[in-house]
Amino acid sequence: MPPSSDWLGERRKAALEAYEAEPVPTWRRSGFWTTSLRNLDIEALEPRRYEAVGSEDELPPEVRDALDGEPGALIVQRGASTVYTHVDDELTAQGVIVMALEQAVEQHGELVREWYMRRLSESEGKFPAATAAFWTGGVFIYVPANARVEKPIQSVYAIDEPGTAQYAHTLAIVGENAQCAIREYCLGGDFDGQALHAGGFELYARPGARAKVAHFQDWGRGEVYDISTKRVEIARDAFVSWVPVHLGGRLTKQTLDIVTAEQGSNMRHTGLYFTERDEHLDLFTTDLHEAGHTTGDTVWKGALTGDSRASYEGLIEIVPNAQESHTYLQTHQMLLSQRAKGDAIPSLIVKTDNVSASHGGTVGELDEDQIFYMMTRGIPRIEAVRTLVEGYFEEVVQRLDDPGLETLIRRRIGAKLLAAEDQVKEFVGHRAGAAQEA
Amino acid sequence: MSLEIQNLHVRIEEREILRGLNLTVRKGETHALMGPNGSGKSTLANTIMGNPAYEVTEGAILFDGEDLTEADPDERARAGLFMAFQYPATIPGVSVANFLRMAVNAKRDEPIKVKEFGKLLGDNMELLRIDRAFTSRYLNEGFSGGEKKRAEILQLAMLKPEIAVLDETDSGLDIDALRIVSDGVNALSGPDMGSLIITHYTRILDYVKPHFVHIMLDGRIVREGGPELADELEEKGYDFIREEVAAADAS
Repeated sequence: MPPSSDWLGERRKAALEAYEAEPVPTWRRSGFWTTSLRNLDIEALEPRRYEAVGSEDELPPEVRDALDGEPGALIVQRGASTVYTHVDDELTAQGVIVMALEQAVEQHGELVREWYMRRLSESEGKFPAATAAFWTGGVFIYVPANARVEKPIQSVYAIDEPGTAQYAHTLAIVGENAQCAIREYCLGGDFDGQALHAGGFELYARPGARAKVAHFQDWGRGEVYDISTKRVEIARDAFVSWVPVHLGGRLTKQTLDIVTAEQGSNMRHTGLYFTERDEHLDLFTTDLHEAGHTTGDTVWKGALTGDSRASYEGLIEIVPNAQESHTYLQTHQMLLSQRAKGDAIPSLIVKTDNVSASHGGTVGELDEDQIFYMMTRGIPRIEAVRTLVEGYFEEVVQRLDDPGLETLIRRRIGAKLLAAEDQVKEFVGHRAGAAQEA
Repeated sequence: MSLEIQNLHVRIEEREILRGLNLTVRKGETHALMGPNGSGKSTLANTIMGNPAYEVTEGAILFDGEDLTEADPDERARAGLFMAFQYPATIPGVSVANFLRMAVNAKRDEPIKVKEFGKLLGDNMELLRIDRAFTSRYLNEGFSGGEKKRAEILQLAMLKPEIAVLDETDSGLDIDALRIVSDGVNALSGPDMGSLIITHYTRILDYVKPHFVHIMLDGRIVREGGPELADELEEKGYDFIREEVAAADAS
């Protein structure tokens, strides 16, 4: 019998060919928005290997800072290496598998092969091909049918040194009628220099499953480029609440797709981003309805400070014959600096009738009336601004339904607002002055 | 302790709204300021609190003898001024309780103890007959007109200002809500607070008895008197006052 991983070798080979054939892309949209990698020196980056550690205490500080002790399973990849895996006995007893994808290919070959890259493809461009060809470590999560897992299952991808290229692949399967919460954290350090995270994430929620899925990204102040594709597929009568959170990265280009693939599938997609300094964030999400009697509810909220750029584009797509689909997408963006630039673009492709699909988008600044109101209660301007921004995000944060992660997000947003205090003050002060001159 | 407004001229977008207004409100006094739409009542309230959209071109606002004309709104509030808004802003994501705690703490050096805050809030909610569940809602989000006004009076009760300006607090209230709000204002009034009740109608004055009544037209106070002036206005209407003032100006 050939080794179970031969099929994988074939896939990697095909991916390598696609990678070599593809040029480094530049993403252009709307005539004025460009996401370019011209400042990234890819040649200087390499996969870095690290020794495994025996306990959470030995993980890099940026990882430890984000952990809250709540997960029932934790797997950590540092650079190119899986350095820590822990699964509670309780989860193992239920048949839950959490391990490096490399290891799962060896130990659960048939299961991995059945699902691997069903919804991802090596022919989607240079970086999806690179990820498929070069990934190491990786994460495999399998929750068997009918399992009820209360504690979150958590994976971490960490980059704590410049010069790192991290090719990451997560495959998660939530079995029929199973229930669980999955968190994936992408964490970086405040180092000087460049790094790359090229990631693929695929999750399959099987019929009747209920899953909460959170992505938390904060690459820190290092110059981390993140080019990733994440897809969630929801089968018959299953429900997924998916919450991607982007709090930092030099340049992020992500494609996030959520597919209600079979009748009765239902999703809630809630996103949040906060950009600062010279960060560049380019997100494209698709709410794809492949079957009738499916529902969707998408809300994305972002705030921009410094010289940052953020573009959110959200597409609703309903295929022919997916009748009785009902979905809604709203996107809001708040500018907190005169120099920041952003856009929030919802769009719609509906190829059938008897559906309801609607969308709305706003790009705005803080409301001077709200600030004045708070100040008349004795609250200083900067505190009023901070409270309003935190309140603006609160709707999204509460949808997480995960107290540990909610606390982490509130803490990080608070710290970022404090760091941006001067420009926020200057901006709001400027606007107050302008109102007076008017 | 008093709020003194001296020869106040205010403009917004090149238009002069207040044209030499004088008014003094002392602690312990209740004043009613009445006037038709467009007479400048809300402009006065906003200017007293330092709304940056309004530009003071002449005159001064003194509080306890100190010139606050150029002060930021939060400084004025911490000094002891308060305004109940006609149209209060919605503060999404911030619960009534958290907002009140923030506002109470803004006036203090040490943050208020949880227990002490709980008691203060409980007492004042009882006073204003407000349901417990109210405090966990986001401030003014989805509130009815009456709930918004009650939330304003709850803030007044929690912050205990020296001088409170109530900008059309009676507008849009049904008779039950008006009575609850008026009872609240009456309970808070007394030697420790002065108030300036700004209103278009006389009906709130059936519940809250002012010591002084001022009538405002075209950015100035044109008549002043005791509570009987409100009765006269109720009887004769603003047009009568307007004619009277025009006649006096002409002679």
